[in-house]
Amino acid sequence: MKNAVFALIGLALAFAPMSGYQEGIVVLLCINCIAAMGVSLLTGFTGIFTLGHAAYMALGAYTAAIMTVRHGINWLPAVMSGGVVAVAVAWLIGVPTLRLTGDYYAIASIGLGEAIRLVLENWRSLTKGARGFPGIESYTTRFVAVAFFTAMGIVMFNLINSRLGRELKASRDDRVAASLMGFDTPSSRMKALLISAFYCGVSGALLGGYMNFIQPSMFDMMKSTELTAVVVFGGLGSMSGALLGSALVTSVMEYFRDISQYRMLIYGALLVLIMVLRPEGLLGSREVWDFLPNRRGGGIKP
Amino acid sequence: MTATVNDRPLLELDSVDMFFGGVQAVRSMSFVIRDSELAGIIGPNGAGKTTVFNLISGVYSPSRGSIWFREQDITPLSAYQVNRVGIARTFQNLRLFGRSSALENVMTAAQNRYRYSFHENMFGNLSPCYRPDPDYYCGFVESALHMGRWAGREKKIRDKSMELLDRVGLADRAGQAAGTLPYGMQRRLEIARALALDPKLLLLDEPAAGMNPEEVEALNVLITGVHRDFHLTTLVIEHHMDLIMAICPHIICVNFGAKIAEGPPEEIRSDPGVLSAYLGDDGKEETE
Amino acid sequence: MDFNFSTLFQQVINGLSLGSVYALIAVGYSLVYSILSFSNFAHGGFLVVGGYICYGLLTGFDVAFGREVLLSVPSMGGIWLAGLGAMAGAGAVAVLTERLAYKPIREHTSMTLYLLIASMGVSIVIENIFVILVGGRFRALPQGTFPAATFDLGGGVTVNASDLLSLGFAVFFLGGLQFFLMRTRWGLAIRAAACDLRTAGLMGVNVSRLIGIVFFVAGILAAVGGVFLSARYTLYPQLGGITTKAFVAAVIGGLGSLPGAVVGSLLLGLAEMLTAGFVSSQMRDLVVFSMLVIMLLIKPAGFFGKQISDKI
Repeated sequence: MKNAVFALIGLALAFAPMSGYQEGIVVLLCINCIAAMGVSLLTGFTGIFTLGHAAYMALGAYTAAIMTVRHGINWLPAVMSGGVVAVAVAWLIGVPTLRLTGDYYAIASIGLGEAIRLVLENWRSLTKGARGFPGIESYTTRFVAVAFFTAMGIVMFNLINSRLGRELKASRDDRVAASLMGFDTPSSRMKALLISAFYCGVSGALLGGYMNFIQPSMFDMMKSTELTAVVVFGGLGSMSGALLGSALVTSVMEYFRDISQYRMLIYGALLVLIMVLRPEGLLGSREVWDFLPNRRGGGIKP
Repeated sequence: MTATVNDRPLLELDSVDMFFGGVQAVRSMSFVIRDSELAGIIGPNGAGKTTVFNLISGVYSPSRGSIWFREQDITPLSAYQVNRVGIARTFQNLRLFGRSSALENVMTAAQNRYRYSFHENMFGNLSPCYRPDPDYYCGFVESALHMGRWAGREKKIRDKSMELLDRVGLADRAGQAAGTLPYGMQRRLEIARALALDPKLLLLDEPAAGMNPEEVEALNVLITGVHRDFHLTTLVIEHHMDLIMAICPHIICVNFGAKIAEGPPEEIRSDPGVLSAYLGDDGKEETE
Repeated sequence: MDFNFSTLFQQVINGLSLGSVYALIAVGYSLVYSILSFSNFAHGGFLVVGGYICYGLLTGFDVAFGREVLLSVPSMGGIWLAGLGAMAGAGAVAVLTERLAYKPIREHTSMTLYLLIASMGVSIVIENIFVILVGGRFRALPQGTFPAATFDLGGGVTVNASDLLSLGFAVFFLGGLQFFLMRTRWGLAIRAAACDLRTAGLMGVNVSRLIGIVFFVAGILAAVGGVFLSARYTLYPQLGGITTKAFVAAVIGGLGSLPGAVVGSLLLGLAEMLTAGFVSSQMRDLVVFSMLVIMLLIKPAGFFGKQISDKI
């Protein structure tokens, strides 16, 4: 049912007639939403707060760029590899850091995020350094972006509405109780991290194919903060909230593009205002369809 | 009340010591719980009862001594492994997944049933292993695509959970967020959640804490009923003497981290050590 | 680069001087963390506010308004008065931030994540207010603000007067903070609140005022750090980003521990300068963040942090 709704939205986005400018916005929305879903799984559903996920986007973007430009590999395997490289690095990072509880993963993620960005900046022979990596082919068409968004969205919603979702929420709400329900909580946390890294990696790879140019500074701590802020804005523990938050923030930022000087000021003020006025986010921990009247069945949801 | 207690030891603590820093919370604790028994641990507050549970369930590992479950040394296992061996517990200070619904709380446990079996290792020996119960399990890809066995397994998990909610009298509260349930119901939900794991041994940590007399009475019926219907070995911690005396034929009394008496209720009631350590303070103790 | 002892000494001196500036920032940051247990990323903004107020007082605010609208301070005591103004201004901004942004959130929820994101928002706001007001240009404090003398320690090792000055001021302010925390009534209350804010409140401490004082003190320290940082690196709206390093230092020392923050800062300053001297100055930041990660892996609570455990 939800899968069908998702597919319909995807079809509409992919085939509705629109201007080039609108197409650009749709592509950007899809890319941002893919990353937001990844971060939402980690932060909203597993309770692991991150300030370094832009680094996984960077890894995806650079992997895809290097594979397509340097080695002439087809874009599709390159984009998927972008996700896989992000997953591999996330695993290396996760093994030692996910043992840390509380704020410590967040703190480590700042260090790791910055370290990955600095490596990309300094490994000039591979990444062309801080000046950026130009000449990436435009493989992220509207159709490609929408297809990725739809497929990854369906998978994400299915996952959170089945055993994995319950497992992650259990380890988020009470780690001790979860482990006494037979969950190996470090491994639950690791699953969430790997999936979120894959989503961010693919999102970054698609971003490279849309912008035709990537640069380490596109993936700095500001971007990481944006990813987490968008998820909090939508509501922690609400996947559709993350999509809504991401779409709203992307649109607002697009709307203010002409007054770029004030854009960041507005963005910062928005973050503070949201936290002050509605810290539980737009949807709280509920999903969009929880607000619909007459739902069928004895709900799984509160 | 207890149908058949056979002589096979299910759980055995062998001179277990536990230190926190310089403080000894448990001292040379030894006892045996037999299969299908309904046993109780009593003792004044701070006697180390919950620490004993934390040791059995793998939250802490003992400083000395060993813990055996079904002839297997579970001393080195961590909490989630102990759980997979077949031990489930509730908590003195409730630990429900408060934001999830009552049903979801039980489903979270029901999806995690494990089965005990033997498999042949590389040396040709049989070694015990714990696999997910195939009736309640489906793989990652099936979950991600909601295809294959997913729907059937999900239904199985849900049906089992509803059945257990019904058993503890919470079927009509299935959709309510666990954290918003009244206190007594939360306690019963914890029992349903532990039962969903299909354990061999159920540890109940102060199940009557904060309940009024009628609720305690209903709880008595629930605990004995569950013990009988599921043939479930049950170990209850309480400082409510009455509850334990009423339902447990086998009682272990602890004080200052050490066992001071063990036996049936009549013996415990007349044991001079227990009287001075515990019953003598009964009036004061109830004000807690 | 070849190894030689004069480079070593030179870089150790530079490192201690840089570390002392980090320490001023890290201590304020850690102080807030010890009370409210959240990472206040707006701390960098307080530093920038301090830096620009100092610059503005020294140059008569021609940056902001294109002409000298206000009093020109150099005639009135120069850097001393400008420094005091910077401290007062940054302290006020810190208290204002607490009252307008953090307090409503604290009253609403106990999740520190929201405070953290709000603090990110505040830091973006402060940074961009300055971008709009004075532009993104790099600005050096006017010549003669700090004595330009250098002292030769022999063997090619020199030390700048301004480095010595920043070291001296750091010691002075950290000593002052220590005195304040150990010898005054509010200091005692702050130490009690760092152990347990709620209990301190129950014991009759005015928690709201206490938090205000903590932010004011943190703002003052940030301003001093800001003035010395702008003397060292010039002043620009993104200068606050450097607090990430002070934050790393605070984590290495143990979040919430003030001696830890100082030790971590000095270590970080030394590591940075030694890397710059012997490896390459581009690797400085990489070394900083690697140190953070390694420390978290080996000893997550830092050198002086307290271990946390939860009750079952």
